[in-house]
Amino acid sequence: MVASAICGRGMRRIMARPILIMPVLLMPLIFVLSFTGAFVSLTRVEGYGTDNVFNWMAVYAAMQGAVFAGVGGASTTAEDIENGFFDRLLLTPGSRVPILVGTMAYSALRSTIPTTGVLLVSALGGLRLPGGPLALVTVYVATAGMASAFCLLGLAVVYRFRTMRSMILIQVCGFSSMFLSTGQVPIHFMNGWLHAVARVNPVTNVLRFARQGFLGDLTWTMTWPGLVALGAMVAVAGALAVHQLRRLAA
Amino acid sequence: MTCSPKRLAVASRGPNSEHPTVNAGAATGLRLAGVQTLALTRRSVITEWRQLGNVIPGIVFPLLLAAVYTHQFTRAILLPGFPVVDSFLDFVLPASLVQSVSFGATEAGTELARDIENGFFDRLRASPCTRLPLLLGRLCGAVVVAAAKGILIIAIFLMFGTEIAGGPAAAVVLVAAAVLLVIAIGGLGQVLAILTGSQEAVNATFPLVFTSIFMSSAFFPTNLMSGWFREVAEANPVTWIIDPVRRLILEGWSWSDVGQALAVPLVISAVTVTMAVVALNRKLSSS
Repeated sequence: MVASAICGRGMRRIMARPILIMPVLLMPLIFVLSFTGAFVSLTRVEGYGTDNVFNWMAVYAAMQGAVFAGVGGASTTAEDIENGFFDRLLLTPGSRVPILVGTMAYSALRSTIPTTGVLLVSALGGLRLPGGPLALVTVYVATAGMASAFCLLGLAVVYRFRTMRSMILIQVCGFSSMFLSTGQVPIHFMNGWLHAVARVNPVTNVLRFARQGFLGDLTWTMTWPGLVALGAMVAVAGALAVHQLRRLAA
Repeated sequence: MTCSPKRLAVASRGPNSEHPTVNAGAATGLRLAGVQTLALTRRSVITEWRQLGNVIPGIVFPLLLAAVYTHQFTRAILLPGFPVVDSFLDFVLPASLVQSVSFGATEAGTELARDIENGFFDRLRASPCTRLPLLLGRLCGAVVVAAAKGILIIAIFLMFGTEIAGGPAAAVVLVAAAVLLVIAIGGLGQVLAILTGSQEAVNATFPLVFTSIFMSSAFFPTNLMSGWFREVAEANPVTWIIDPVRRLILEGWSWSDVGQALAVPLVISAVTVTMAVVALNRKLSSS
């Protein structure tokens, strides 16, 4: 009940002020246009995995958008803390966890906006779906999961530092984890330390899971590592957020 | 120590202001403007120094991007049509520098908007301060920070093995071009600050700057792009600055490249700063 009320409040806020969604929508669109335009010739390099640059970059841009959506969701809590609304929430009886779950659900819902925007623009650019409609399902699952994970991570930081400024930490973390993955090129294109980091970066597995339907058929061997990575990220970030929320409420 | 309108007024009277009858005739308008610009430049640099947390992402992010691209585009540099380079790091140096200075480029406008919002600008207007330093002070502050960032970025690239074929003089041109670009972007920010008096409006120019860097030859040569994106990139002034600078780094010294690398941002700077001066004059004469 509390969780759905908080999620609904966030969505109503967006409906009332659509301008709030513009940065979350614009940045991934800029990314997809820039990356597909600038790096189109990468598809001519042997082993790239696809001859259509949109099929590679669209998922990456959508995931970037999801990270922004997650950070944005946590930012609303930072705003609530700064203007005193969060203190009033803490005065209400009952468990604190629904407050956190509601914000996470809001972020996951919010992530569908940039994901849809990126997919539509990519479709205009020539995006194909060799994996069929299920390819779209994997992208939406992956982006909702990424938004949830980064929202929870953002909440952990916000509950700890209680300021909007602290969100820069999560933005840097989000940007870095996306760039240090197979976002723009396959892992066998990388060398040195980047190859080692991208291999252990959970975002790489999430990208493989989300992108598989754009490169070929969906397979279980590509699916389960991505789902495990998403689950692990949400679980770890959630545990951190719950811990910091309890400290804040104590 | 920050600069108050009172300090600025004292500065405008000169170091021997206790003997105004002796010095009043000697103090020219140009000298006054210089002293006041210096005072406001100092204030601007001190403000940046006190908020290093805002400056650091502008250095770290471009370096991270350069490091990542260097390790992921090792096969891309072998594509036919890609400039001959030992490493992508050599290719991406101008892009990293432009990206780094662009992060703080709107600061000149943001600071001015902040001063308008909090009333400091009105206090400056009430002081015996000439008009031009109100703009130039902030721009010079941004220039000092940009030059420091430029030198740091080039030093880090050199440490990691980048070679500048044009020699140290080319490195100086690289920093100069970046500084001129900061003046161009800063001037635009000041126009917006004067017209709107809002920091938020000035900050809104950042995505524009960010996009114009990505939609240029900053990270990939335009001859390897295609379609509408290639046309946009080739018509983008950022490409006109980056391409000659890149040739200075990869191919060696060329006066025509130096001319283009400096002339393009210089012309844009002249336009945006003139627009800022006109906007300021209109604002002051209308109030």
